[in-house]
Amino acid sequence: MAARQDAGDAATAGRRNGNLTRFAPPLGAAAPDVKDVSTNSCILQAQRLRKSVPTAEGELVILDGVDFDAAAGESVAVMGASGSGKTTLLGILAGLDLPTDGSVWLDGDEISALSEEARARVRGRCVGFVFQTFQLIESLSALENVMLPSELRGDRGAKEDARAFLERVGLGQRLTHYPRQLSGGEQQRVAIARAFASRPKVLFADEPTGNLDTGTGKRVVELLFDLNRDSNATLVLVTHDATLAERCDRTIALDGGRRVA
Amino acid sequence: MSPTFALRLAARDGRSGELRLLLASIVVAVASVTAVALFADRLQQALLAESTTFLGADRIIGSSRPVPDAFRDAATARGLTQTDTVAFPSMLFTSDAADARNQLVSVKAVGEGYPLRGVVRVAEEPFALGRVVDTVPEQGEAWLDSRLFPALGLSLGDTVAIGRLQLRISAVLVSEPDRGGSVFDLGPRVLMRVEDVPASGIVQPGSRVSYRLLLAGDTAALDGLHAELEPALAPSYRWRGVKDSNRSIGDALERAESFLLLGGLLAVLLAGVAIALSAHRYARRHYDHVGVLKTLGATPADVFWGFLGALGAVGAVGVAAGLALGAIVHFGIVAILGAYLPVALPAPGWRPLALGTSTGFICLLAFALPPLAALRNISPMRVLRRDFQASAASQAATYGSAAAGALGLLFWYSDGIWLTLWALVGSLGVSAAFAIMGLGLLRGGRVAGMQAGSAWRLALSALQRRHRESVAQITIFGLAIMLLLVLLLVRTALLDEWRAQLPADAPNHFVMNVAEDEVAAVQALLAEHTNYNGRLFPMIRGRVTAVNDIAADEWERQHAVPSMDGGHLRSERNLTWSDALPPNNTLTAGDWWPVDTQEALISLEDEYALEHGLDVGDELSFDIGGLAVQARVANLREVEWDSLQPNFFIIFSAAALPDFGATHMTSFHLEPGAKRFLNQLLSEHPTITVIEIDAIVRQVRSIVERVTQAIELVLALVLGAGALVLIASIQASHEARMREHALVRTLGGTMRLIAGALTSEFAALGAFAGVVAAVGAEVTTYILQTQVFRLGYAPQPWLWLVGPAVGAALITLVGGIGARRLVRSPPALVLRELR
Ligand SMILES: Nc1ncnc2c1ncn2[C@@H]1O[C@H](COP(=O)(O)OP(=O)(O)OP(=O)(O)O)[C@@H](O)[C@H]1O
Ligand SMILES: [Mg+2]
Repeated sequence: MAARQDAGDAATAGRRNGNLTRFAPPLGAAAPDVKDVSTNSCILQAQRLRKSVPTAEGELVILDGVDFDAAAGESVAVMGASGSGKTTLLGILAGLDLPTDGSVWLDGDEISALSEEARARVRGRCVGFVFQTFQLIESLSALENVMLPSELRGDRGAKEDARAFLERVGLGQRLTHYPRQLSGGEQQRVAIARAFASRPKVLFADEPTGNLDTGTGKRVVELLFDLNRDSNATLVLVTHDATLAERCDRTIALDGGRRVA
Repeated sequence: MSPTFALRLAARDGRSGELRLLLASIVVAVASVTAVALFADRLQQALLAESTTFLGADRIIGSSRPVPDAFRDAATARGLTQTDTVAFPSMLFTSDAADARNQLVSVKAVGEGYPLRGVVRVAEEPFALGRVVDTVPEQGEAWLDSRLFPALGLSLGDTVAIGRLQLRISAVLVSEPDRGGSVFDLGPRVLMRVEDVPASGIVQPGSRVSYRLLLAGDTAALDGLHAELEPALAPSYRWRGVKDSNRSIGDALERAESFLLLGGLLAVLLAGVAIALSAHRYARRHYDHVGVLKTLGATPADVFWGFLGALGAVGAVGVAAGLALGAIVHFGIVAILGAYLPVALPAPGWRPLALGTSTGFICLLAFALPPLAALRNISPMRVLRRDFQASAASQAATYGSAAAGALGLLFWYSDGIWLTLWALVGSLGVSAAFAIMGLGLLRGGRVAGMQAGSAWRLALSALQRRHRESVAQITIFGLAIMLLLVLLLVRTALLDEWRAQLPADAPNHFVMNVAEDEVAAVQALLAEHTNYNGRLFPMIRGRVTAVNDIAADEWERQHAVPSMDGGHLRSERNLTWSDALPPNNTLTAGDWWPVDTQEALISLEDEYALEHGLDVGDELSFDIGGLAVQARVANLREVEWDSLQPNFFIIFSAAALPDFGATHMTSFHLEPGAKRFLNQLLSEHPTITVIEIDAIVRQVRSIVERVTQAIELVLALVLGAGALVLIASIQASHEARMREHALVRTLGGTMRLIAGALTSEFAALGAFAGVVAAVGAEVTTYILQTQVFRLGYAPQPWLWLVGPAVGAALITLVGGIGARRLVRSPPALVLRELR
């Protein structure tokens, strides 16, 4: 616990000092749209990511030499056809999965070189998620779902925090309701409250409106961007929706596992 | 993850019903073990206590020499109660000068406090039922067996003489507890005071006297004394406990113990399977849960300790509830059976509770931990891609741990490697065989299903499609049903066996010493008044002097197997001759001789032969009344000692024993009310000897009855555990089944079709399980009865009908109840709940 906090403090202090050498990856020569790293507070960076899985028909390459970076507070949309590897990229960037090749730096740690144990700590410290399928825990009430991140960290005041976030997403009256008693849009709002309750530096969202109708989706998106602006988190958003992508600072595109834009 | 958070997780899961089945399984496991153990513990203590009455003490030290004071002092030092008895044969003389009669009697001289266990009954007239007394005869007085009164023309208050001692008859002795031993060696009993023995002048160096020190007290002190005296006991003193005191009681107790053990074990193993199933289901339902926790920063170690903590919490609650429930069930049983238990049950020891507690936690660790521990390996990618298959607990870890747990429990309960290995080999073999049979049945069922109606077709193809789960379920149901069938069969066999051994009209009296010229008259009397089987056996006494020309003592040194029975090869035995194999005897080696054989042949009881290293073909030399007789062992026989028919270790061919003056004997049954017949018999034939064993037979009977009740109790508990396994197993495949059927309904299947298909599916599953169970039950019962209980075995054709029928009915019922709500509710709701 203490160690975790030390790491967090050191990271914050480091950034404040502008001393980024600790965090900057040794840059390869030809990363096309990598900005000037020495002047940019780059919180998430990936290089030459390759992901392949063995299948019955031989090796299937899902990602092939993808580079990626995002600055603190920036929002980046990831677009591409179905099956182009967006979800796979997101999983690797967030440290949920390991690349076959290449490296990922997240908030000062080379997470692609860390064990699952250590990656979990990094996630607990600075990552939040919103998923297409909401991923609320069925046996927990809305309030308990939102309390989870703080409880995992062992923070005090988890309940008040969670209540505040649920009120912020407009579900102050539904605290004790279970996921199956909530509509899809409501469930996604709970998920958003939970994502921000972990006070992430980077928020990953995989098609957060994919399971919602247009109207509901719009409201959820508003909420997502509002909260993101308030918390000054970096947002990595996977989406098929061009208008949604346009609201982001930047868009990258994948096709067949390669970065095309 | 902090411990309190783990507990909160467990509490939230508990509240939402996720842990209910796991908790129920633990409660049932602990409750059944605790209830069985509590009851068995108390019953065994009671049985032991009752059996001690056969010794008149908890332990005795016996010898043909006086017991040294050092033994007494050692017993006193350990706080044990003690008293002495001295038994010897003697002539009893009446003091009626005009009609002086005498009779060989067996005198037992007892000290103050006798007996330490059991009771003495006396009466004011011969052959009455009598009353219990807690005193012994005064010095100068004697209590005499009923049959001495008519035989010697005595009445209360008369004086009799034993050696130089004059004793006044102050009561009729009806029974004393430690009469047992070899009933054939007994003359009528005379009870007197040990203080009077020296005055009789009978007990001289070299006379046949049996000295006993009776001991009573707590088991630890007794065992301590045994250990302390052990070196000093051999070769002259024998230490004897309950189980050595009476063969048939010892056997009955041992069988009862193995049966209770077996039953308790089955209940635990069944509950273990239920625990494993519900833990797997719980783990499977938490894959997403863990994925989410991991995205939120939970490390694998957090997940492991978190679920271990939850498991510990569930375990603590389950064990506590299980102990309480076990105690309640056990009190219920005691309350129900209490009326039938003539002895008060002693308070239970702490062991059953410890057993229940440790069983609960061992079950949890062995059966539930592997799937939960494997949760730590769930990839967080699962939240993004559902197909990220949970690397569920490795099969090796799961089965290895379950097997280790089961074996550990087995070994602990039975502390025997033999039973443990049998169970291991047996369960592995049976599971494999069941799985193969299950697969075959599924294939066959599918082919048959093609011809069947749509509900059946749907059901059978669903079973075939999920053939892995189906085979696993058939195996598990099959095992559960098999265990129930086996238990039922073994129980029936045990009871039948006991009842057959001790039918209500089993002989309870022996008549001996019938002279050649009295045989016809006695036979006529017996035929008129009793059910005796029409045959008097000639009987002479003799001893073995040599085997194959090696002196008996020397032979024994070379060949004998140490035995509890302790008789020596050269001890004097009752011998008989016969031209036919007696009823209740079965040949185990060699052939019975032809009726008219002129050879000198003998037949030996097989355990006697084994203990003394004898076999067919050995030449035995006998000393019979001073005459040397030689005979060759022609065959070995197994004897049903419990039958209470006249039985002999050694039977000669008629040609081997030319015209020895033998007396005759037989046994017969007398109802308690008809005992006055003995007065008539003994008055008309004063020289014959009647030995009453009706009291012993009654005692054996009451023990058997109680053992029966215990067995029925265990059966009920195992049934409960079995039902739990069925529920857990059906629950485990519940979701997959429901999702399929909900889909069929959205595609237009009617509710009736679904209900029909579900019913057919459960029925088919149950019937298949019943078929494999019937096969398993036949084989297991065969092995158990021939190898463990040493009983006979007959195939049970009804199994083949009852097994599948019971299986189908049970599983349809249990599965149907679970599925009813989901069949009725709209498919959209089902799909949403199962998401
Ligand atoms: N573990 C895996 N094993 C086999 N194939 C995989 C695995 N993970 C991803 N794939 C394949 O890689 C490709 C990319 O998958 P991914 O989920 O990243 O696509 P996506 O861009 O998110 O698509 P969608 O827009 O449909 O969500 C797909 O063809 C997918 O089937
Ligand atoms: Mg995707």
